[in-house]
Amino acid sequence: MAIPWPDKDDHELLALVQEGSHPAFAELVRRHTERYYRLAFRYLQNREAAEDMVQDAFLKLWEDPHRWHADKNTKFTTWFYRVVVNLCLDLHKKKQPSELNEDMPIIDDRESADEAMQRKQQQIALEGAIAALPERQRTAINLCYDEGLSNQDAADVMAINLKALQSLVMRAKATLKERLKSYL
Amino acid sequence: MSDHRDEKLESLLHSRRVEAARLDLATRISLKAQTVPQIQNISLWQSLRQLFSELHLPKPGYVLASALVLGMVMGFNTTPDNSTIQDANYTTTQSMIPGDEGFL
Repeated sequence: MAIPWPDKDDHELLALVQEGSHPAFAELVRRHTERYYRLAFRYLQNREAAEDMVQDAFLKLWEDPHRWHADKNTKFTTWFYRVVVNLCLDLHKKKQPSELNEDMPIIDDRESADEAMQRKQQQIALEGAIAALPERQRTAINLCYDEGLSNQDAADVMAINLKALQSLVMRAKATLKERLKSYL
Repeated sequence: MSDHRDEKLESLLHSRRVEAARLDLATRISLKAQTVPQIQNISLWQSLRQLFSELHLPKPGYVLASALVLGMVMGFNTTPDNSTIQDANYTTTQSMIPGDEGFL
């Protein structure tokens, strides 16, 4: 009996994608779109741009699925994080970063208007400070504070060791603490 | 004081907002992929096999026999040309001699 799509692991799905299977690709996309979108959004701060970025990344995988080598002993998610990070950094180098979205919704509706405003300002200041960090520190912060990604995974994505990652995060946090003094 | 600021920064970093993607993003990507052809990764061996399969003769015996018959038919239909270079030169020389001198 054939194993249903949700029970197949990523590597099994990728093997099928390499044979041209659209349903396997659709399952892979369904499974991981959200997490890569979140990461892309953290770099681009714009929904449309982040969606386009994730779409590009997945379509590149579909177009040439042999870019993924199963024998490398790397998790698909780690490898694909690297692909998305590189695309985001490339785009960032090509054009000026978009303005921070001041209309970003505030999730907690129970907050008073003042609290909501203060929180919004904090968010804008935080995103601005992160955007101004050096590339590697920014990537370390974006990856380490992404849900579901351990520090070791983040280090693997950046192809550095754990200590180097921790050092990058420490330096980034020191800079952020300095820049966000008035909010802390 | 510094600890308090560290904690505050940590909580700020953990509370970073992400505007939700449109619900149909995954579906859109899957549908778009259906319009994009995949790049075929063909090895040297596969490309050689493909080349030979294009040159493959379904019934080599018949093809060889037909080629032989065709060659023989063409051979029989061609008029044999026995003239040599010397003949050609003689003809050219004769044509250059004026008519009167030819009789002498």
